[in-house]
Amino acid sequence: MQKNMNKDMNMKTPYETARNCRHYAMCKIDFLGSGVCDSGLEKHFVSFYPQGRMILYEALSENKIPITEKCVEIADSCNLCGKCDYQCYFLNEMRPTKVMEALKNHVDSFIKNGGKVKPVKNDIILDEIKKIVGENWATNDEAITITYSHDLSPVSEPKIPDYIVLPNSSEEIASLIKLFNKNKITYTVRGNGQNLLGFAVNEGVIIDLNRMKTIEFDEKNWCVKIGPGVVAFDLQKQAMKRGFRINAGEPAALVCANIMCSGIMSTFSTTYGINADNFINAEFVDKEGSLFNLNDVSSPNLYSYKNLEHKNSPGICVAAYIKLHPVTDDERGILVPFQTLENALSFIKECSIRHIGLALGIVGAEYISTFLSPTKKSALEIKNIFIDKLDIPFLVVVVGDKFAISAICEMGFPFFDQRLFNALYLGLPSLKSAEWLDLIKELSDDEPYSYLRIKSFADLLETALSPSPALYSKEIDPELRPFFEKLFSRKEMTDLVWLTMFRIMTTRLGRKNPFLPLIVYLPIDKDLISEISGRFKLIADKYNVDNEFGFITPIDNGKRCIFEYDYFFDYNDPEEIRRIRLAVTEANMLVDEYSVKTGTVKGLPYVLYQGYSRKENLLYS
Amino acid sequence: MASMLLAGYRIIVLGRSNREETLNERIFKLLRWFGIEELADQLELVEIDLLKPKLGLAETVYKQVCEKTEEIIHCASDTSFSERKRDIVFKSNVASLDGILQFAADSKAVFFHYISTAYVAGTGITYCKEILSVAKTFTNVYEESKAAAENIISGFCLKNSINLSVIRPSIVYGDSRSGRSLKFNALYFPIRSAQSIRDIYLNDLNNNGGIKAAKNGVYLDKDGCLFLPLKIYLPKKGDLNIIPVDYFVNATVKIIENCSGSGIYHLTSNSPATMKIVAAYYQQLMKVRGVEIIYGPQPENLLQNPAEELYDRFIEPYRPYLSDNRVFDRTNTDLATDNLHPPEFTYEIFKNCLEYAISVNWGQSIF
Repeated sequence: MQKNMNKDMNMKTPYETARNCRHYAMCKIDFLGSGVCDSGLEKHFVSFYPQGRMILYEALSENKIPITEKCVEIADSCNLCGKCDYQCYFLNEMRPTKVMEALKNHVDSFIKNGGKVKPVKNDIILDEIKKIVGENWATNDEAITITYSHDLSPVSEPKIPDYIVLPNSSEEIASLIKLFNKNKITYTVRGNGQNLLGFAVNEGVIIDLNRMKTIEFDEKNWCVKIGPGVVAFDLQKQAMKRGFRINAGEPAALVCANIMCSGIMSTFSTTYGINADNFINAEFVDKEGSLFNLNDVSSPNLYSYKNLEHKNSPGICVAAYIKLHPVTDDERGILVPFQTLENALSFIKECSIRHIGLALGIVGAEYISTFLSPTKKSALEIKNIFIDKLDIPFLVVVVGDKFAISAICEMGFPFFDQRLFNALYLGLPSLKSAEWLDLIKELSDDEPYSYLRIKSFADLLETALSPSPALYSKEIDPELRPFFEKLFSRKEMTDLVWLTMFRIMTTRLGRKNPFLPLIVYLPIDKDLISEISGRFKLIADKYNVDNEFGFITPIDNGKRCIFEYDYFFDYNDPEEIRRIRLAVTEANMLVDEYSVKTGTVKGLPYVLYQGYSRKENLLYS
Repeated sequence: MASMLLAGYRIIVLGRSNREETLNERIFKLLRWFGIEELADQLELVEIDLLKPKLGLAETVYKQVCEKTEEIIHCASDTSFSERKRDIVFKSNVASLDGILQFAADSKAVFFHYISTAYVAGTGITYCKEILSVAKTFTNVYEESKAAAENIISGFCLKNSINLSVIRPSIVYGDSRSGRSLKFNALYFPIRSAQSIRDIYLNDLNNNGGIKAAKNGVYLDKDGCLFLPLKIYLPKKGDLNIIPVDYFVNATVKIIENCSGSGIYHLTSNSPATMKIVAAYYQQLMKVRGVEIIYGPQPENLLQNPAEELYDRFIEPYRPYLSDNRVFDRTNTDLATDNLHPPEFTYEIFKNCLEYAISVNWGQSIF
């Protein structure tokens, strides 16, 4: 088997596909309504999901592990249904099924050729763990442990844990902690391995919380009690069914882990807040294996905030009571274009101060084009069109009720409404050949985007772009096209409110390359943000790191905002890893510098494990 | 520039690079387009910055350029009509004059030729004389800035005893013989707008069943012509004063060669076209029907179809020029150019120009 193949060979072979898996765990949630890998749902270990099989195949290809009993089971458990192709292609333009097939063939050939499958080794600690969680929910098999060996961070080195355990209750977790303490075994709690700072890997035990997925609504008290294995997408879906909304992070992020690590942030944070704004209570198993909840007067005060980098974890969150928010039937999404970041900032600040809109977020051309485009190639073309032809380097996404939308009309900002968005989105391929775009730009000469004020512009745009699911899908691999045509016929797939709530497009940002977001809390100060943004760019350019403006969301009535700037890297290229580490270190130092200088700027590393703190303590102390 | 090179002049081009190209690349691209690369040795290119003292040149270079200069033709300007760009337009067209005028004085140039516009005459005037503009109101910031520039230049030249010729063309389109052009704004914009709308509906009819087209009364008739209902309202009956670029060049060269003292020259047409003529030519050439020019104010609560609404927006900045009642005095021009007049705007000329514009994708694939 091969390693370090030429980058041009990307995705041509199962091995290349496997080693380019983004590890976003999106294959663990049914975000397209096409189903999730059956074996994953049954076995729960990540190895039984496409993501795990990709990692496993990569490891086998590189002879990192032998073929073990679990490896055979994992390979056998895939029925090559192809669901993962739909999901992974949607996000990353990858087709994992060929990896699944290669894995099966690899294991089959090994067995047919008389290869000896490595049996599970006996282990006293493992036996003890199994006594707590049951025979099926703990293992030291290398085919499983290897799939928990890294997270999304370019900073962390991969570590292969000794054991993986999947508890199903807080009592089991408490017993496990006592066992680990007694035997001086280190452990790390893992959700879906999305930690960006390298805290989801460990050489001891990984506690995977994915079996603990209970969701109990308490509608009269406007909250929902969730287990630590509940992912944002599933919770949002359940809340929506009941006519509510939660403030949710990335779709595959575990909600409790998300709160623990950084606090939940989204464009809805404009209204719903961050950190402690998002929950009513939370239950924990502490480091001694004892239970506590935040409402106990004797509990540690997790609502406080200390300006410490990498503060220790307060324990394992085993349940959280998440706030439910009301939804009205007149909510709509719009996109407000801006020629400059400064103007977009003024707009979101104004809206936030005046409480206009439920969700607000500035996105740059990279985000816009990546979210909208079905392929990488298309995203690049669309990005250029947005910047050069439409003169839209920035868009503000707004979700609001009819009063919010009419207020924005009254403020005099032209915008893309849902109908225009549909035309633009599903007519994207036509946009590339639309010569009339040059004229559109000239129409904006006196007033930017004044064409959006033309009453029948939507009609014209629809005529010009002929938007349809079929058109949108024409750049997709032919075998997958019928599925995607059906998918994009579904209303929610183009509904700005749904897309903003469920955030399935945001994961597409990693399609070009994995990325590391630099997240900063700071005032909505045009000069300050431009300065920091410019310096993030300078640092990245210095280290030859691909970089882009990410997004900005106002919080706390426009007093502060969350600003994300993204550094992209190829995690298969050691040189790029080296450079991004240097760039990130320097960028974090820059944030520290501004933090000291202004007293109002905070970087994400200082929020780690303090997601339960009151936002006031985080932002203003 | 090409005509003057062909006439044997030596030219120093004072210019600057843009984001994509150096001055050298820009000028040589033009020479290739004109097919006169062999005349490159008559050119000297100097990168300058009009907003900097001594044009941003080192003292020695500045002196050398001054010594070599006999006459100056100033043809750089920002042609944006946008009020939003007022500061930029005034900076380009007015504030930048200091440097070039000082250069004119330092070089002891005998003549300063300034390319302006006939529309410095401003609004509310019908007979426009070949004198400095005293207008107070203008159609747009471009006209206003050019009028301001003329006055500044005139005052400076008078004070420094430099002869000044102000050359004021009306709307310039492509070459009347070949249709070739480097720019596709002004006259081209309303035509290109109509063409874009036509293409949108043709695509709908040819590739998408024409449901949208039918809804808006757009269809292909039995002769294969596109019926596109497009009522274009122009505020009053008037003309479209256009001149071809070949006329502009020939007349300008004659003025430069023939004028002996200061003067203002209108390069305009005494038999201007009208939008009705342009619309008729367009329909004939592009196999379109249904375009209607209506003179007079738009009715209140006018119901426009999408094409009309979009077209209306497209032509808004150009509307005052599309039905214009201004008549331009040409006394000085006729004298200086031996009564050289622009050709009548015929269907043949229109066809050449539009076919060329389409062949180079409205300038996008010109080089």
